[in-house]
Amino acid sequence: MAATDAAPTPARSRPLSPHLSVYRLTLTMAMSIIHRITGAALYVGVLLLAWFLIAASMDAAAFGIASGFLNSILGRLILFGFTWALFHHMLGGIRHIVWDAGYGMDAPQREWLAWATLIGGIVLSILTWAIGLAVY
Amino acid sequence: MADDPNTLRTPLGRVRYLGSARSGMREDWLMRLTSVALVPLTIAFVWLLLSLLAKDYNGVRAELGHPLPAILMMLFVLVGIYHMQLGMRSVIADYVSGHAREWALMVNLFFAGALALACIYAVLRIGFV
Repeated sequence: MAATDAAPTPARSRPLSPHLSVYRLTLTMAMSIIHRITGAALYVGVLLLAWFLIAASMDAAAFGIASGFLNSILGRLILFGFTWALFHHMLGGIRHIVWDAGYGMDAPQREWLAWATLIGGIVLSILTWAIGLAVY
Repeated sequence: MADDPNTLRTPLGRVRYLGSARSGMREDWLMRLTSVALVPLTIAFVWLLLSLLAKDYNGVRAELGHPLPAILMMLFVLVGIYHMQLGMRSVIADYVSGHAREWALMVNLFFAGALALACIYAVLRIGFV
């Protein structure tokens, strides 16, 4: 490696493999991207869960701050987004399990599964919060 | 199949199903395994979370002081954080290169490990302290 670093060959543009921007955006492509984005969002969102649990393990004052934020309008919005991301990602995962089993790979089935995931995630989160807020 | 003239793979290599990298299948399998486990765990977690949010300090401590909600919470945290660490690993492998990739993979493990330990510690402390 050191030898090549010392005597660099002149830079030459190499052929690149076509990336996302080359293709027309399709529904299943968008779903793949959203799956990653929701996954990354949940990665960060778990910090809120850790905060809540640690605060509850400390004392009433620490818990009050965490609970106060999570039950504020902003906190509730973030939590709704968190549960949506969770449900959307979960349904996306189920879609992948269906594919792993060898089903649902034809074009109409792929489209149907994509819509089911998209709508299912929204419906599940609204339903959960509606029932959850009514019960608790 | 075993006598396919168009492949250089030996029948034993085909049976082992490891590919040329030897270890990639395990990561893939763990991703599948944790995702299956997370389907029921996620549904139970969301329900638990909503009940906890409505409670005050003593209510939350009483709820998480019970074995079932506490075990459920810890299972979700452990399996979920393992799953998300694996997922971030493949995101890093796709988008980060060079030395930055090594750092990113390291930070990913540190973050996930610390977060998992913090959550487990908190739940156990609520139950036992």
